Amino acid sequence: MADPREVRLEDLPGPKSREELEDMKAPYEEYCRKLFDVGNEFVKPMALEGVRWLSCTMYIFTPHAVANLGELGAEVIKIEFPRVADPMRHTSPFNECYFYPLHDTRPKSGTGIGVLNANVNEYYISLDYHRKEAQEVLYKLVKMSDGLTECYRPGTFDRWKQSYRYLQEINPRFIYVWGGGFGYGPKAFGGSYDILGQAHAGLASITGFHEDFGGHPVKHSNWCIDWYSGTQITIAILAALYWRRKTGLGTMIEFSQVQAATRCCGYTVPLYGRFGIVRQRWGNWDTQLCVHGIIICGKSDYPDEKNPQLRNEARYVMVSAFNDPDFKELCSVIKRNDLYEKYKTHKERVRAEAQVEIYRELEKWAADKSRSEVVRILTEAGLLAAPVKNDKEVYESEHFRQRGTVRWMDDPMLGDVIAQSTYSTGLFSETPRRKFWDFRPVGADNIKIYHELLGYPISTIQEWYEKGII
Amino acid sequence: MCDIIWCKKCNTVNYLDPYCFWNWEGKVNCAECGEVYYIHMIQGHMYKGPEPRPGEKPDIHPLYADKPYDGYTNYPPGVEGKTRPYNCTPRHIYLGRADQRKFSIRNRPMRAWPQPPSAGIAGSQGFYWDIKKLSPEVWEEYMEKIKKGEVRDW
Repeated sequence: MADPREVRLEDLPGPKSREELEDMKAPYEEYCRKLFDVGNEFVKPMALEGVRWLSCTMYIFTPHAVANLGELGAEVIKIEFPRVADPMRHTSPFNECYFYPLHDTRPKSGTGIGVLNANVNEYYISLDYHRKEAQEVLYKLVKMSDGLTECYRPGTFDRWKQSYRYLQEINPRFIYVWGGGFGYGPKAFGGSYDILGQAHAGLASITGFHEDFGGHPVKHSNWCIDWYSGTQITIAILAALYWRRKTGLGTMIEFSQVQAATRCCGYTVPLYGRFGIVRQRWGNWDTQLCVHGIIICGKSDYPDEKNPQLRNEARYVMVSAFNDPDFKELCSVIKRNDLYEKYKTHKERVRAEAQVEIYRELEKWAADKSRSEVVRILTEAGLLAAPVKNDKEVYESEHFRQRGTVRWMDDPMLGDVIAQSTYSTGLFSETPRRKFWDFRPVGADNIKIYHELLGYPISTIQEWYEKGII
Repeated sequence: MCDIIWCKKCNTVNYLDPYCFWNWEGKVNCAECGEVYYIHMIQGHMYKGPEPRPGEKPDIHPLYADKPYDGYTNYPPGVEGKTRPYNCTPRHIYLGRADQRKFSIRNRPMRAWPQPPSAGIAGSQGFYWDIKKLSPEVWEEYMEKIKKGEVRDW
């Protein structure tokens, strides 16, 4: 009888050879491809069909909370201020890259590319809802909707008699979401920005390299806390919808963005509570695992490219080899077995001084190699290594193409456009997310909503338009 | 906001707006007494100056000026010969032209140039881009591209 303490490959479940792995893999792969049927989402039902949501939102954070609903099939009505519209339409990278049109009153100014993905599949109406004449219209919409998301300073909607306590009387099943900077409390009137969330929640203080290594607190280049907090709101909305199904009652969700960002900080605050230690930045390395970080290689993968982003920047590799056998292999690959002898246990090598030495040696080894060479050598040694990709490489990634994460779509208004956000959120077998359109001009659906849905005569709508109410 | 020029002759604070002065070298007059100062400003900070250059002609006026010791009497934007009108636009060198393209990187048409007004009743706008009808010249160009085999899937 075999020694029960000995683990033999043949006793373990799963494939025993590469061929067997391929054999076992194929049917499940096929099953998944058929089940998710990427690219054919539009023939399947939509999970949130029947939910109607109002969106009085701006920029990315709160709009994205509602875009999630729109992608899952809810009928979302985005209410913008007449002519002015969502300020995100005027916020584009370096004031360029426009989509047209925006509105007839500003035919020369388009919508900035920054607005993409934040208001997907929504109907666009314009309404100056703080005017008395507009109140009845908004109340009518509230009566026939499931919820509303807004992002004004706390109490603004209350002053305009359209906060939760007023709307709840009209529609007790109504779900009301306020999303903004601080919420009630000492900074109730503080506004909200992604960078503010990253700074206020302590996230930026633990991002980037320490000053000893020439680093500073770093914010993400993209507004990632906006996208993140928006998704958190969507989760809250789905829970509120479930709660309403059980009790028949609405909910008010009060969502502070700076509060949401504290969740990304992991153990940081408990660490302080327990030991009084203020966590420091540790940049591209890891405080819990070593080796588990990003290193720089000597040569770019695109030495002859004109674009400096490719020519100079395509030099970073993510490497992970933190358990003992992997670390041993890594040391052997870089011909520094002495490092393994010195830091045999993970406890030893995860210490700060050890990390400084190990990563320095790794980068020394990579100094005469290109990024792809480093990845190839480490992967062939059975270690986890991946290039730090840029947008071009994400676009060209076979993995993303096969799974439909990045794909082209023919937007009814904009023409050829890449859609990546909608399809980045996991695959659904029965009710997948999908994108019908990205956005529409200001007030594009005024007739559809005011006339066809609410039944106002065209003459009244025209009159509102002339008065600047819509 | 940029650094200011505090004229010691007449105790007037001349405010320099970042739209114009953020990175700038030249001569500015004091709005009150007309004294000309040479400044070299980098990223909103005074790198050189203000150095008085009596008798020389200013290149530009400040945007706004006031006298804090005199109850904040002021020269609002656009006082002739004293301050400049406020146009809310950056200097001409910062007014880049957006790169307007008609085709995506895989050579399929996209709508990325100013559109003629087209709204119907109450600003209700048609959003379906019937390219053949609305942009026939782009459609033709697109057909050419298809013929030449330049249109790709990715």
